[in-house]
Amino acid sequence: MSRMKKTEPENFGAFSRRNFFKSLGTVAATAATAQVQSVAAELEKVNSEKIIGPNAVPVTLTVNGEKLQLLLEPRVTLLDALRNYSSLTGAKEGCDRATCGACTVLLGDTPIYACSKLAIEAQDQEITTVEGLAKNDKLTKVQQAFLDKDALQCGYCTPGFVMSVTALLKKNPHPNADDVKHACAGNTCRCGTHPRIIQAALKAAGVEVASKTEVIDYV
Amino acid sequence: MKSFQYATVHSTASARELVADKGAYLAGGNDLLGLLKEYLISADTLVNIKSLPGLNKIEHGRNVWTIGSLVTVAQIENDADIKKTFPGLHEAAADVASQQIRNVATVGGNLAQHSRCWYFRHRDTQCLKKNGDLCYARNGENRYHSLFTGNSCISPVVSSLATIFTSLDATAIVLRDGKETRMSMAELYQRAWENPLAHNSLSNTDLILRVEIPTTRSRSAYLQASDKHAFDWALVSCAAATTIEGGKLKSPRVTLGSISPVPHQVEAANSFLDGKVLDDATATHAADLILKDAKPLEHNAYKVPLAHALIRRTLLKLKGEV
Ligand SMILES: Cc1cc2nc3c(=O)[nH]c(=O)nc-3n(C[C@H](O)[C@H](O)[C@H](O)COP(=O)(O)OP(=O)(O)OC[C@H]3O[C@@H](n4cnc5c(N)ncnc54)[C@H](O)[C@@H]3O)c2cc1C
Ligand code: SF4
Ligand code: FES
Ligand code: FES
Repeated sequence: MSRMKKTEPENFGAFSRRNFFKSLGTVAATAATAQVQSVAAELEKVNSEKIIGPNAVPVTLTVNGEKLQLLLEPRVTLLDALRNYSSLTGAKEGCDRATCGACTVLLGDTPIYACSKLAIEAQDQEITTVEGLAKNDKLTKVQQAFLDKDALQCGYCTPGFVMSVTALLKKNPHPNADDVKHACAGNTCRCGTHPRIIQAALKAAGVEVASKTEVIDYV
Repeated sequence: MKSFQYATVHSTASARELVADKGAYLAGGNDLLGLLKEYLISADTLVNIKSLPGLNKIEHGRNVWTIGSLVTVAQIENDADIKKTFPGLHEAAADVASQQIRNVATVGGNLAQHSRCWYFRHRDTQCLKKNGDLCYARNGENRYHSLFTGNSCISPVVSSLATIFTSLDATAIVLRDGKETRMSMAELYQRAWENPLAHNSLSNTDLILRVEIPTTRSRSAYLQASDKHAFDWALVSCAAATTIEGGKLKSPRVTLGSISPVPHQVEAANSFLDGKVLDDATATHAADLILKDAKPLEHNAYKVPLAHALIRRTLLKLKGEV
């Protein structure tokens, strides 16, 4: 699965070992009176405070319903993990600095920039990339609307816009053009397809708009 | 990015112990990862503070509301009670960056974000803020820079939340050396006013826990002007808050952002407005007072009339349906 060389996964720093034993003392004292459950919870908490890295450690991501087991250094971003440590290249890298939106993926139902989140932080959430939308060879309404409205030119920004619009329609099934603009403000299209993208989003929401793009006076 | 160690902490004591001198707190990561990617800072350990208990809540007290430092900007934007009680805070939050950022950006990280000066952000430039001996902006490209400063660095504070929190007289509760310290917004940024190396008054281990907002001022408003209509830092931001009693302003506060290393307040303007009926003339005079000592540079003089207009508009917005 991973292209990384195999490294020592567990890296107990001096701090964590010290703290581990320290808390073990308190835990033992409470254990006499309290439930074993809380002891386990306490141990788990202390355990999770251990310092890991800088070498690669096992990281499990749940992407499009599947578990990906990777070996990643803590510095690897979610975008890097998807594109370069597994083969999910749907989310694109534009700026790698939280300014273009090409890398937009969903954490649960929430759109975020995959370039600005560490993969190791995204372990306990459901991640959806553009690859996770179509099912059984059928496109989602949003994807189909992008096709119908010809809402792309080079297509590099498209996965990001599709994810932002998908998230918007989940939260607000009947948006107006302003809602679409607000939701897509964090996505940039260098080819300038924005008017078509707005139309596509509205079409996916069931609002049919004139097929003509908006025109402005130019004398 | 250089490699680093990583830990998730569940107590503020561990947070402080792990971050020590060379680590960094990781909240939403929007600013921190950018700094690391450009090699502007180095951190041996990233201490993820997002599992610290109790800091992701908005609590409504009778006299004071408390916003935990891990509350996201989106949480503030979407909170119907905030919109009702502190409309200016809602407006400021909704104007921050994009929804992808607001969904993860935290109150603590927003307040502690670093300078956006493009010389600071350029990895090959060693300006005063990076221990060099020259401010490149002063005689260089300074269109985004300050009209006021107390030192040789002219990089302004850009946190939108800091601007509105200042007008709402909010207090940051900071864990410093194991003790909770209360800091006004002015205190939170004072060191950036004095010292070109500083972005705020926090040391590496200082941890913002909460922000407390008194409910004294029932009206508030926020406006920002940016190069881009959305998804851009402010060229100038303005926040105002007040109570209106018998048609007159009571304890009004006006603050400008992005024009000084600290949220810019002028006491003379606040006291001039106190007890006045708000109209064009009073708003204009307040704006004059706030900008009186502005020192524009070669490329940022446009900020003076822009700020003037924003102050008037923000103040008049406060009137609502008086
Ligand atoms: C294109 C663009 C436009 C933007 N426009 C705006 C705008 O208009 N207004 C605005 O305000 N912001 C704007 N931003 C900035 C963005 O809002 C901030 O980067 C974000 O709020 C930082 O929060 P975070 O939780 O991600 O912080 P992080 O990146 O996690 O942290 C930032 C810094 O704060 C420190 N820190 C984090 N939490 C704490 C704490 N509790 N105590 C002490 N230190 C802490 C970290 O160690 C780090 O140094 C914009 C960003 C982009 C990319
Ligand atoms: S304004 Fe401050 S951060 Fe920018 S170049 Fe000058 S010293 Fe550096
Ligand atoms: S690649 Fe993430 S926002 Fe541009
Ligand atoms: S279609 Fe080319 S960037 Fe949007």
